[in-house]
Amino acid sequence: MQVPFRLPSLGADMESATLTQWLKQPGESIRRGEPIATVETTKGLIDIESYEDGVLTELVSLPGAKVPVGAVLAHLEVDAAHSASASRAAESGAPPIGAPPASVPAPGSAPAPVVAAQPQRLRLSPAARRRAQQLGLAPETLRQTATPGGVLSLADIEQLDRAQPAHGAAERTAMRQTIGAAMARSKREIPHYYLGHTLDFGPAQAWLAAHNAPLPVGERLLDSLLIIKAVALAAARSEGFNGYFRDGRFEPSAAVHVGAAIALRGGGLLAPALPDAHAKDLPTLMREFSALVMRARAGHLRSGEFTAATITVTNLGADGVDVLYPIINPPQVAIIGVGAIRASPWALEGQLLIRPTLTLGLAADHRVTDGRAGARFLRAIAALLGEPAAL
Amino acid sequence: MDINEIRAGVLGLLSRIAPDVDAERVDPKRPLRDQFDFDSMDALHFATALSEAFHLDIPERDYAQLASLEGAVQFVLSHLPAGGGAG
Repeated sequence: MQVPFRLPSLGADMESATLTQWLKQPGESIRRGEPIATVETTKGLIDIESYEDGVLTELVSLPGAKVPVGAVLAHLEVDAAHSASASRAAESGAPPIGAPPASVPAPGSAPAPVVAAQPQRLRLSPAARRRAQQLGLAPETLRQTATPGGVLSLADIEQLDRAQPAHGAAERTAMRQTIGAAMARSKREIPHYYLGHTLDFGPAQAWLAAHNAPLPVGERLLDSLLIIKAVALAAARSEGFNGYFRDGRFEPSAAVHVGAAIALRGGGLLAPALPDAHAKDLPTLMREFSALVMRARAGHLRSGEFTAATITVTNLGADGVDVLYPIINPPQVAIIGVGAIRASPWALEGQLLIRPTLTLGLAADHRVTDGRAGARFLRAIAALLGEPAAL
Repeated sequence: MDINEIRAGVLGLLSRIAPDVDAERVDPKRPLRDQFDFDSMDALHFATALSEAFHLDIPERDYAQLASLEGAVQFVLSHLPAGGGAG
């Protein structure tokens, strides 16, 4: 049966997106969770994944088209036996999360293009793509500049931007406006409360140093990952911090998908999800975290990663901040801010010691929990970090 | 391998691990953190790439020496396995 492939909502404030590129062509087989198209939003370039196993039969939208959320981008032919639940997911805009990165099977038949006038596929160097995205240069503009078969370089992009200064300046603020709108909504609708908790990071640091010492650089863990895992475990074991507040009530989530706030070099912030962080071992989580940061920076996050997070962790420790009390990312109900690890005076059993300390800041939704529950949640995270071998 | 080859190699690695950075504009002496908002993940990716490309063991305590492009070049130069140096 035919099912529509629609543009999902990738955030409460997203109304539309520009189709940048088709990653699949009619006739190609597609696995659930596999990216089909790249769209450009105010949050950058995002790969949109399929909700279904099937075959791409028809492209409805052309690259360069601005399409509203919910609009049909393409049609897929799927096995009817499996489509009922899957098409419901597509209708509700719920993207798949944690779908394995499917290997692409060779198309069984030769592709039969339905769209005749397929524009030339854009080729940009990664730095050029990133810069074009920052400047908000439209794909049509880039396509007009590109020589057939040529690759646009960073210098080409800079030249293009100089040629149309007003355009670039206006678009550059789009991401800032998106963040502003989401945060204003959060502050308007969510009665935040804020708690701070300073802990001795010594046990975690010592465990990490011993764990990392014999490992090749690429397999070492970061301290920020231990904190993400501890937050995920504590969130799974606590009530009222993991899930969504929607339609006037809290919907807890059994799985913990931790949103990891990632600062972009051009300015702006993304918080894509690390799926099932509570259930994964540290090396697995580290590989996924590493890949997630790389893809966020390169502008290749997947649609599912934008909407899946059930709680967020934001870390400004590397920037020397002692404590931060972040703003909740709706419809989530809690966010943890992580400050710098510092050698500090620390009293323990009547002794004054110098220990590496760290302050966690919690912002949580008063419609769901009270301060005492928040305090317990922070204590649970601190206790987990005190026993790092159990993470 | 001479210092210019090493520098070109390190610059190439920088572009690969941080594709959103314009490597041609790197100030070699300034910390990457100050120039490009490098965070701990970027630093780890950079150390990993250097370690793999130049076959170096880089203990965590030496990460600080990789803070700038020139620091990384000097680190590679002084740690290249014997026989691999002086091109």
